[in-house]
Amino acid sequence: MKISVITFFSLFSPFFIFGQNTVAGSVTDNNGTPIIGANVYIEGSYDGASSDDNGKFSFETSETGTQTLTISFVSFETFKLTDDISKMKNLKIVLRDDVNSLETVTISAGSFSAGDNSKISVLKPLDIVTTASALGDFVGALQTLPGTTTVAEDGRLFVRGGDAGETQIFIDGIRVFTPYSPTTDNIPTRGRYSPFLFDGITFSTGGYSAEYGQALSSVLLLNTIDEPTQEKTDIAIMSVGGGLGHTEKWEKSSLSLNASYINLAPYIAILPDRNDWQKPFETASGEAVFRQKIGDGLLKVYGAFDTSNFALTQEDVNQSEGVRFKLNNQNFYTNASFSEMLENDWTIFAGGSYTYGNTKVGIDESDIKDVENSAHLKLKLKKRFSNRFKLNFGAEQFVTDFNENYEEPNFASKLEFNNNISAAFTEADIIFSRKLALKLGVRGEYSELFTEFTVSPRASFAYKTGKNSQLSLAYGDFFQQPENEVLKFTNDLQAQHTQHYIMNYQYSANNRIFRAEVYRKKYSNLVTYNEAMPDVNSIFDNSGDGYAQGLDLFWRDNETLKNIDYWVSYSYLDTERKYKNFPIEATPSFANTHNLSVVAKYWINDWKSQIGFSYQYGSGRTYTDLNEPGFLQKKTKGYNSVSLNWAYLLSQQKILYFSINNAFAFKNVNGYQYANTADSNGNFARRELRPAADQFFFVGFFWTISDDKKDNQLDNL
Amino acid sequence: MQNLVTYIVLFFTAIVMQAQTETETNADAAPTKYQQGMRKAFQLWQEDKSWEAANTFERIAAVEPDNWLPPYYVAQINVINSFTEKDPAKLKAQLDKAQDFINDATAISKDNPDLLVLQAQLYTAWIVFDGQQYGMTYSAKASELYNKALALAPDNPRIVLAKAEWDMGGAKYFGQSIEPYCKDIQRAIDLFATFKPAGEFYPTYGEERAKQIQAESCK
Repeated sequence: MKISVITFFSLFSPFFIFGQNTVAGSVTDNNGTPIIGANVYIEGSYDGASSDDNGKFSFETSETGTQTLTISFVSFETFKLTDDISKMKNLKIVLRDDVNSLETVTISAGSFSAGDNSKISVLKPLDIVTTASALGDFVGALQTLPGTTTVAEDGRLFVRGGDAGETQIFIDGIRVFTPYSPTTDNIPTRGRYSPFLFDGITFSTGGYSAEYGQALSSVLLLNTIDEPTQEKTDIAIMSVGGGLGHTEKWEKSSLSLNASYINLAPYIAILPDRNDWQKPFETASGEAVFRQKIGDGLLKVYGAFDTSNFALTQEDVNQSEGVRFKLNNQNFYTNASFSEMLENDWTIFAGGSYTYGNTKVGIDESDIKDVENSAHLKLKLKKRFSNRFKLNFGAEQFVTDFNENYEEPNFASKLEFNNNISAAFTEADIIFSRKLALKLGVRGEYSELFTEFTVSPRASFAYKTGKNSQLSLAYGDFFQQPENEVLKFTNDLQAQHTQHYIMNYQYSANNRIFRAEVYRKKYSNLVTYNEAMPDVNSIFDNSGDGYAQGLDLFWRDNETLKNIDYWVSYSYLDTERKYKNFPIEATPSFANTHNLSVVAKYWINDWKSQIGFSYQYGSGRTYTDLNEPGFLQKKTKGYNSVSLNWAYLLSQQKILYFSINNAFAFKNVNGYQYANTADSNGNFARRELRPAADQFFFVGFFWTISDDKKDNQLDNL
Repeated sequence: MQNLVTYIVLFFTAIVMQAQTETETNADAAPTKYQQGMRKAFQLWQEDKSWEAANTFERIAAVEPDNWLPPYYVAQINVINSFTEKDPAKLKAQLDKAQDFINDATAISKDNPDLLVLQAQLYTAWIVFDGQQYGMTYSAKASELYNKALALAPDNPRIVLAKAEWDMGGAKYFGQSIEPYCKDIQRAIDLFATFKPAGEFYPTYGEERAKQIQAESCK
């Protein structure tokens, strides 16, 4: 009987039996502040509501039994509550901050990045190449950041009292063994790789991740574009040569090709410089990136080949007829990487690179031929346990085979070495809250050449001090093998060592960024030898040491002045070291105390033009005055240069571009060369080391052909 | 550079998207829960409670895993509201959310021209927010999406309009003739006259915007 009564009631009035349940409660954040507009609903039903101005919600549902209530709101983690529906009354829901959000603290000590969506980017992709002094060289643009030293005659990156060899460059996580074209004294080099193919650049001036090794001072990480946006052809006609680029896209793959030819002969014919060129600088290069999607994975293959040559006679204080120098270099680099997201939040990355470098140098009567074959293999796994805890680990192998043949009329020698290094690393990212994050890592390396094992711990920590500001600390141990110039003579050495201590403060809001960083770097085990130019008979040792400490400031503002975007970098550096053949601890000639860069870009709408301005100042660098007692005891005058550029958009896809380096023709002296022997008065004669030319002019026409008729090469200039 | 891009995109941003107002209902059948939910959401949207409307669409999306319309409207509300959002953290959260829902909708309905246009508008929101950072990459991506959408639906007035408006911005800036795009706008208006949405709750906006552009730019 009872059954039929229930059936009766339920047929006519289901609500009588089950009723309408009311779900009610409130939503707040961690601090108890009500969250307005949160979405509250029973999973799998249409029933739900939005929280009101007091964070309260209430709605009726016909669902019964155990159900899951979901509460979601942007920039908070979604909260799910599974319980009997009748108990879902007077709920007090507290949503946790989503640590993936932009407001979360990021570890910024030591690194500058340029790229889309990056939270700590201080440079935008365009800047790498629209900086007036850079002339399209990404290394040139990075030299406007704090922590770098102006060494105008060299062109490479000198970071925080370290020499150029202490910075390593990686493409898609894989090391580049020969990043710069070889050159000779006083002719600055350029980065080999065109900015055209990269979309993410991270420049770390210290305290970097355990993933990267074999760099005492700094790493530069370049990422090639994952997926080009469209098919297009780029044509460049320049006063110094030409370039051609093309991108082709298919359903799951794409190919970008880029070729350029540079010849300085016509330029030097019109505007001769201080060198006597027999064969002005000429280089031809080609690059290709192929990308293929395989399932959820991405395969990228990058290849670059370049050949360059020049011959000249340079003034020399010891040889009245000058020194004849000629160089011929071929370099091939290829790099392949594969990355894929696997199940359960695992990510795998595997990659490798191969470098072939062949350099022939002729100095007066002697000929030197170097052949370097190097490879790097790397495997990395990443597991994301949650938004708050991620673990990375991996292993890698570096292989270098170096051969040198030295010949002069009465002497010949052959030098070679193999340098194999095996390494493993692991690193954990722990985000405690939006305010507090920690990165802990360790790296172990084994050198076959030295039969030596090294362990480098790395740690960094970030704390958010306010809505727009944060403080970061970093510590790390870094090891690096001595350079080829030493290894070719001896293997009875150890890795050189640095320790970094960094404190960084960053404030960023409304298109303005301020960064201040103080650091202390300790060098030990630096390689020393007993002669000015080492050779097979020199005595090598690891007895060198030194320090570098200083302050780096950076300010960028894109807001205050209309249509003007500018940044200012200042670095203070105090460094001394004893290495190579230094008799005492001294400040090396590539380091100076003060460096200042001011870069500005002004967009003039009516002229469809962007005017760029860049000022570089570097205080004097040390040199040894042989006419007075002491070592590296004198300083040159400061370096000054103002560069200007003008990009004019003829139409959407045609750009005319002009630039002048050192527009005001400041007379810069990079150092002095002293005679080997004193004259009859006991005086050592000297000559100034001046740049080959005080100024450099550039004119180019850039034309892009694409379907959308919008794209142009402004971002490549 | 920033201003160039901002200037260009300003022309594309103002697509005033209106909530669907009238939907033809089958008078015979009682409305399903889905219809009730969608009508409620559109009603909230019209009452200027766009966030509540988005929440409602989101709830419907959770129970209708094979229907691309609810996630489409969640994404659309987030995109439209981000054009006026100045707080970078909030803007990023909204656009990330919109992107998630576009991804969901795209998984249900591949090569859907309305979703391609919405994706292009999402890129435009990034460009408006920071032209210097996102302008170059995202404007190229947006162009590609408009081309693809038009190839898929050459006679859909909303797609014709969206692409014409995008192209017109660039042409105006460089002082080129906007004549061809005015023709496209006229064509869109003609197409709107006979346009029938593919089903209930399918997007129908755009006709008024087309007339507005014609009045402002093509006279």
